[in-house]
Amino acid sequence: MTCEQFEPGQWRLSFNEPETEFVLNTLARLGRHYQDDILRMPPTLRAYWQGTITRGETAAKEEIRELQDDLTAARAELRADRLALVENWMRDYELSENRNPWRVDVTTAERDEFLAMLNDRRIMLALEMGITEDDMEADLGQIANEARRGGILEIDVLGHFILVMLGPQIYRP
Amino acid sequence: MAEGPGTRTLPEIDVEEKLKSAFARGWSVIVWNDPVNLMDYVVYVFKTVLKMNEKDASRHMWEVHQKGKSLVARETREKSELIVHRLRGFGLNATMEQEKA
Repeated sequence: MTCEQFEPGQWRLSFNEPETEFVLNTLARLGRHYQDDILRMPPTLRAYWQGTITRGETAAKEEIRELQDDLTAARAELRADRLALVENWMRDYELSENRNPWRVDVTTAERDEFLAMLNDRRIMLALEMGITEDDMEADLGQIANEARRGGILEIDVLGHFILVMLGPQIYRP
Repeated sequence: MAEGPGTRTLPEIDVEEKLKSAFARGWSVIVWNDPVNLMDYVVYVFKTVLKMNEKDASRHMWEVHQKGKSLVARETREKSELIVHRLRGFGLNATMEQEKA
């Protein structure tokens, strides 16, 4: 995968064939996930999509309830918006004449939404499988459970795509 | 003033307090550590959402990573709420806490 800025605020993403297959698979899973009823999700994923507005107890209960309701409503809207974006990406692929490499031109805002969606998939996998920081740092060969190993590998590959799009960000004096 | 059907007049003091609370700069936005979000991604999100420079964004990211959380903004209730929604949109575990008087 490559990510080039060809004009200010305009980016060209390019995926080879295996990467395209991987991204399409991720988008398909995200599309299904964004349509799922959160009440039928495992508790960890439900909590992620409802969101928690505060961990403190200093504000009035009524005020906290209002803020929590606003967050839950915003999160539901976000899922609907992202489902529409997934459908746009799939449509773009269907209409694309050049698929190897598959090239997609996006604005910075569109690239940010794509980053956030790939990150949603990483978080979904981690929450579904209860993946911890230690798991993320472990040698993949040491993880016996195949599904878990596959999940961590997918998180890693999506992380690689995210880093390719961002380039180095951390300040190192 | 008479109340119309189906309406209720709030006591003036409640409205004033609500407005004061909404616009007082007494709310903190906290970002909590999690096992999945990449360090570079977190820095990018801080730069994008909170308009931090690279140095500050990196400092807050390290604080989240090493101490488990970082206070990234002190704002009004309205602004803090917006920031929490945006940070959560990027998948960061953000909450808002009212500062003690």
